[in-house]
Amino acid sequence: MNETASNSPAAGAAGYWRLVWRRYRKRRLGLAALAVVVFLAILGAAAPLVVGTRPIICRYQGRWYFPCLYYYNPRWENPVFFKDGFRFTYYPRGLAEKDPTSIALWPLVYADPYRRVDVGEWRGAKGDPNRGPPSLRNLLGTDAEGRDVFSRMVHGTRIALLVGFVAVGIAAAIGIVVGGLAGYCGGWVDKILSRLVELVMSVPAIVLILALVAVIERPTIWHLMAVIGCTRWESIARYLRAEFLRLKETDFVAAARALGVPPHRIILRHMLPNALAPVIVSISFGIAGAILLESGLSFLGIGSEPSTPSWGRILNEGFNTLGGERPQWWLVLFPGLAIFTAICAYNLVGDTLQEAMDPRIR
Amino acid sequence: MNALLEVRGLKTYFFAESGVVKAADGVSFAIDRGRTLALVGESGCGKSVTALSILRLVEPPGRIVAGEILFEGRDLASIPEKELRCVRGDRIAMIFQEPMASLNPVYTVEGQIVEAIRVHRRVSRRAARSRAIDLLKRVGIPAAENRADEYPHRFSGGMLQRVMIAMALACEPAVLIADEPTTALDGTTQAQILDLLKELQEESGMAILLITHNLALVAEAAHEIAVMYAGKIVERSSVRELFEHPLHPYTHGLLGSIPRLGAPKGRTLPAITGTVPDPARYPAGCRFHPRCPAKEARCAVDEPLLEEARPDHTVGCLLVEGGVSPMEARG
Repeated sequence: MNETASNSPAAGAAGYWRLVWRRYRKRRLGLAALAVVVFLAILGAAAPLVVGTRPIICRYQGRWYFPCLYYYNPRWENPVFFKDGFRFTYYPRGLAEKDPTSIALWPLVYADPYRRVDVGEWRGAKGDPNRGPPSLRNLLGTDAEGRDVFSRMVHGTRIALLVGFVAVGIAAAIGIVVGGLAGYCGGWVDKILSRLVELVMSVPAIVLILALVAVIERPTIWHLMAVIGCTRWESIARYLRAEFLRLKETDFVAAARALGVPPHRIILRHMLPNALAPVIVSISFGIAGAILLESGLSFLGIGSEPSTPSWGRILNEGFNTLGGERPQWWLVLFPGLAIFTAICAYNLVGDTLQEAMDPRIR
Repeated sequence: MNALLEVRGLKTYFFAESGVVKAADGVSFAIDRGRTLALVGESGCGKSVTALSILRLVEPPGRIVAGEILFEGRDLASIPEKELRCVRGDRIAMIFQEPMASLNPVYTVEGQIVEAIRVHRRVSRRAARSRAIDLLKRVGIPAAENRADEYPHRFSGGMLQRVMIAMALACEPAVLIADEPTTALDGTTQAQILDLLKELQEESGMAILLITHNLALVAEAAHEIAVMYAGKIVERSSVRELFEHPLHPYTHGLLGSIPRLGAPKGRTLPAITGTVPDPARYPAGCRFHPRCPAKEARCAVDEPLLEEARPDHTVGCLLVEGGVSPMEARG
C-alpha cells in the first residue's frame, strides 16, 4: 500500500519477507542460483521417478504397488516381489512373465545406480558396457562395474541433499537451542555456553569423523550426517545468541513480559521469529559446507558404504583411472561439475540472502 | 481507606561494575481507584525504573533491594514469579513510550491483542478475536474490522499507541501504568491519547499511574502529582495545590521552565541550572542542593524527609517553614 512504511526499519514480518524477496529478485545471479537449488531439490527428491529399473507404479496380480520406493529405503519394496523372484528376473521381464496383464509406469530413463543392466533386460537392451564412455544408451557413460553414471549422479543428488539437509537440520536444532539459551538467559549460562561454542569451534569436523570411522565398524552415511551436524552448529548458535541479546532489550519483548506472557512463549513466539534471518543465511552456507565435506570424505573412501551412489565416490573411482591406460574422464568431469554447481548455488543463495536481508541497505 | 496500589519505601538498585546505581531510592506513593497519579521528573530521575519495579520487570543487574508493593492484599515485591505473571497484564497493565517498538513486527495487531486476552482468559480464539475488534473500536481505530489483520508497520504512531491501550485494557486491569505514553507522539495526538485514557478511566474506574516529564500534560490528565528527583519523591499533592502552591525549589524550577503565553517579551525562559546528579554518586544532604537557588549550609549536611507542610501536601525540603516555599520566602 505505501512504500515508505514498509521500507522503514519497523517493517513487519510479512512485509519484511516480501521486502527481502523484492530485493532478492533484483539479483540475477542469486535468482539463477535459487533456480539451481530448487532444480536440484526436485531432482534429488524425485530421483527414482527420473531414473531407475523399478516401476514408479504398477498393477500386479490385481493390486497396485510402488516398487520405486525401494530406492528411498530397500525395506519399502513389497515382499511379494522378493517372493516371486524379481531380483533374478528384474521387473520388466518379471512382470511380463508372472502376470501378462500387468501395467507399469516406468521412470524416464531405465538404468540402475546400484547394478549393471543385463542384456535383454529392457526392450532389447544390449546391456551396459564395462567402462563405456558417454553414449545414447548411457548418457554419462558407465563406471568400472558397468553401472550407469547418469543414474548414479541423479541418485547421488538425493544423497548429497540428504546429507546437506539432515546435517544442517541437526546443526540448526543444536545451534538454535544453545544460542537461544545463551542469549536469553545471559549471565553464567551464557558464559558456559559461549565457552562450549568456542570448544566446538576449535575441533575440526574432519578429525572427529576420522576418529569415528576408526571406532565404528560399518559407518553409514547417517553417522556422517550426525557428526557433521554435531560439529557445524557453532555459527548458528553465535548468530542466534547475538540476535537474542538484541531482542531481549526491545520494547516489544518488555511489553510481552508486562502482559504476563510466560517465558517459553516469549522465546518461541516473540523472539525466535525475529531472529531467524541470519540463521537462514547460515543454514544456506551450512548446506554447501556439508555437501562439500561429504563429497570430500566419500572421495577419500570413508563415511559411506561403497555401493552408495555419492558424487565423491564416483569422482574417486574416476580419479583412480586417470593415471592408467584407459582414463575415464567422464567419471571425473560430471561429478566434479555437480559438486561445483551445488556448492556454488547454495553459497550464492546464502550470499544473496545476506545482501537482501542486510538492514543497512534498506 | 486502603489504597488500591501502595508502594512503600521502594529501593531499586543497579549493581554495575562501576558502582551501585540507586535508580529508585526509597519511593513511596499510593493510588486509589479511579484516580490518576502522575510521576513527574527529569530524564534519569528514576520514574521509569519505579514503574517497572511495580511489576518486577527490572532486568539484572537491576534488583529491588527493599520496599513493599501492596496490591489487592499481596506484596508484589515478594510473591513468586508465577503468581506475579497472573497479575501482569491482567490486574495491572502497562503501556510504553515507543508504540512503534512495543508491538511485535511479526504478528498482526489483532493477533497480539488476542494473545493478551488468551494469556489470562480461557476463551476460544473466536471469542478473543471478536473482543479484540471491540477493543480496537473502543480505542478509536477507524475500520477496526479491516485493520485488525494488518501488521504494526502499517499503522501510525498514534494509532499504535491506541492499539497498545487496547491490549492493556484487554483483561480490564485495575491499574494501568503508562510510561511516557505520549512522548513519542505529536502534539494533537498526545491530547487525543490522554482524552482517551481519561474516558476509559471514567468508564472502568481503573487507576492510572502516569509517568511523564511533561508538567503541562499532567495539569490536564492527572488528579495527583508526585515530583521525583534523583531517585526520591520530593513533593506530592493534588494537581491544583501543586500548581498554586509549589513548595520545593525543584518544583518551582519545573513550573518556571514551562513557556507561557503572555509572558513579557524578550525575557529568557528560566531554566534549572546544572544537571541531574550521577545516580551512582548522589550528593550528601539534600540531593538537589548543588542546583538549588535557595540553598543554605545545612542543605549539604542534613537529608530532608517528606513531611506534610500543608494539608494533603507533603514536601521533602529543609527550608519549607509554615507551608511557605523558600523561593517565596526569598522573594
